Amino acid sequence: MVNTDRDEFAARRNRAVKTAWMLAVVAALIFIAFVLSGILNS
Amino acid sequence: MSSEHTHGHAQDSHAAHDDHHDHKPTGFLNRWLFTTNHKDIGTLYLVFALLMFFTGGAMAMVIRAELFMPGLQLVEPDFFNQMTTMHALIMVFGAVMPAWVGFANWMIPMMIGAPDMALPRMNNWSFWILPFAFAMLLSTLLMDSGGPAAGWTLYPPLSLQGGQSFAFVVFAVHMMGISSIMGSINVIATILNMRAPGMTLLKMPLFVWTWLITAFLLIAVMPVLAGAVTMLLTDHFFGTSFFNAAGGGDPVMFQHIFWFFGHPEVYIMILPAFGVVSEIIPTFARKPLFGYTAMVYATASIAFLSFIVWAHHMFTVGMPLTGELYFMYATMLIAVPTGVKVFNWVSTMWQGSMTFETPMLFAIGFVVLFTIGGLSGLMLAITAADLQYHDTYFVVAHFHYVLVPGSVFALMAGAYYWLPKWTGHMYSEKWGKIHFWVSAISVNILFFPQHYLGLAGMPRRIPDYSTQFADFNMISSIGGFIFGASQLIFVGVIVHCVYKSRQAASGRVWEGAKGLEWTLPSPPPYHSFNTPPVIDSTTVAHAGESH
Repeated sequence: MVNTDRDEFAARRNRAVKTAWMLAVVAALIFIAFVLSGILNS
Repeated sequence: MSSEHTHGHAQDSHAAHDDHHDHKPTGFLNRWLFTTNHKDIGTLYLVFALLMFFTGGAMAMVIRAELFMPGLQLVEPDFFNQMTTMHALIMVFGAVMPAWVGFANWMIPMMIGAPDMALPRMNNWSFWILPFAFAMLLSTLLMDSGGPAAGWTLYPPLSLQGGQSFAFVVFAVHMMGISSIMGSINVIATILNMRAPGMTLLKMPLFVWTWLITAFLLIAVMPVLAGAVTMLLTDHFFGTSFFNAAGGGDPVMFQHIFWFFGHPEVYIMILPAFGVVSEIIPTFARKPLFGYTAMVYATASIAFLSFIVWAHHMFTVGMPLTGELYFMYATMLIAVPTGVKVFNWVSTMWQGSMTFETPMLFAIGFVVLFTIGGLSGLMLAITAADLQYHDTYFVVAHFHYVLVPGSVFALMAGAYYWLPKWTGHMYSEKWGKIHFWVSAISVNILFFPQHYLGLAGMPRRIPDYSTQFADFNMISSIGGFIFGASQLIFVGVIVHCVYKSRQAASGRVWEGAKGLEWTLPSPPPYHSFNTPPVIDSTTVAHAGESH
């Protein structure tokens, strides 16, 4: 058994939150890009 | 084998310790409405998906009842169109996708040795958006203008000719999209950050791999759909002309945008199925998966190719010849990694000590029948031939082979495979097998004649047809009624397993099963793997030493 201490667990959680924000920004950018391209082409 | 048992006992005693401090929330609302537990949320997703499966299935029964004979029998043509549209939207976004997210929630943390999903509160929110989205979508059927009737593809100008209820449809699609994106973000954040020490990427079970790739697909394409329907909304209600030819817009542009989402969407529904089947076949063949690494690369290749083939859905709009050739050859290329997968599943079974419990039957049914869907897909990829097949029942037969004995059979296979793990009880093997055989026979009676109908020229999405199509339609409808009714057996098996079964399931459940989830007792403790497990070849199928 490997013990994971609290600090490592907190660090993992922080990394997970960072990953989530990065992915959310990518999704938002894709949405904005498609709508913007529609506006610019119309 | 003895070391495996010793290790299993160590895990069991550890898990029993966890079980002692179970900390399940008390009260119905606390347990289910405010839950942040991945197992509870997984259960909510699966129950919701099953309800939607029967709702969409009821609509399919209306469609097949109307098509039982030529002539208008039961419903008005406009309501028929609403049924075809709603059936598809509900089955795609309400049944198949949430069911896979339910599997992801239940299994991914247990398979990678994590205590829960990385973002448990967002996980709760991802699920609870869905019932509201579908309540809103279904409510359109009760409105004056009726539900959406332009097909799930929502092509303008037809979709723009609907009534006020269209705004509800668009908002429902937005909410489903937000739910899917949040679910996917959670899956990626969990897999990339929460794996137990030693669980490297190339030791992960294939189900985890396929879901990781699926989650990236979802994040890439759901915003595209959201953008497309937002532009439809403003065209409909705010006087813009993105897709309105009268105002200088381009309706064909919508088709490009829709299918840039829509084709990867097909793989979003099928890649997790590949993952489940890749877990089940080695277990019941009692052999390691043949070509694990090749399977991972094949999955990634299919996902990449899914982004560059979208226009094969719209060969008939009039593309330049070079465009048609490009999309034809790019589409055919998908057969290569898909062929690798089918070859590897068959090779895993080759000379294995196979037994045919219900999950294995559904998995083999998947391999055979999904391949039929894949082959008719190759036929449709040929541009010259597609001009003939386009918008006929051949297309309906093709994608239903991919989605029903494909995705849905894999869902059934996974449900039977992990049901004893989830509930702690064995299901009735006899009724499971009856469910499989009735489903497998009736699904072919339902969909195979539709190939002939399409080749003979019957268009899709029509409530009435020429008498020359009568016989095959009647056969197809009879198959549909039997298939629909046989799914009640599935519900019976689940209810019996959860509430009545007296046969306790062991931790490992299946003799040949490998993976971290099988080191936990059945049912697993409410909080599992608070202490990360040890990763070695006795517990994990792809730990390296066994190859």
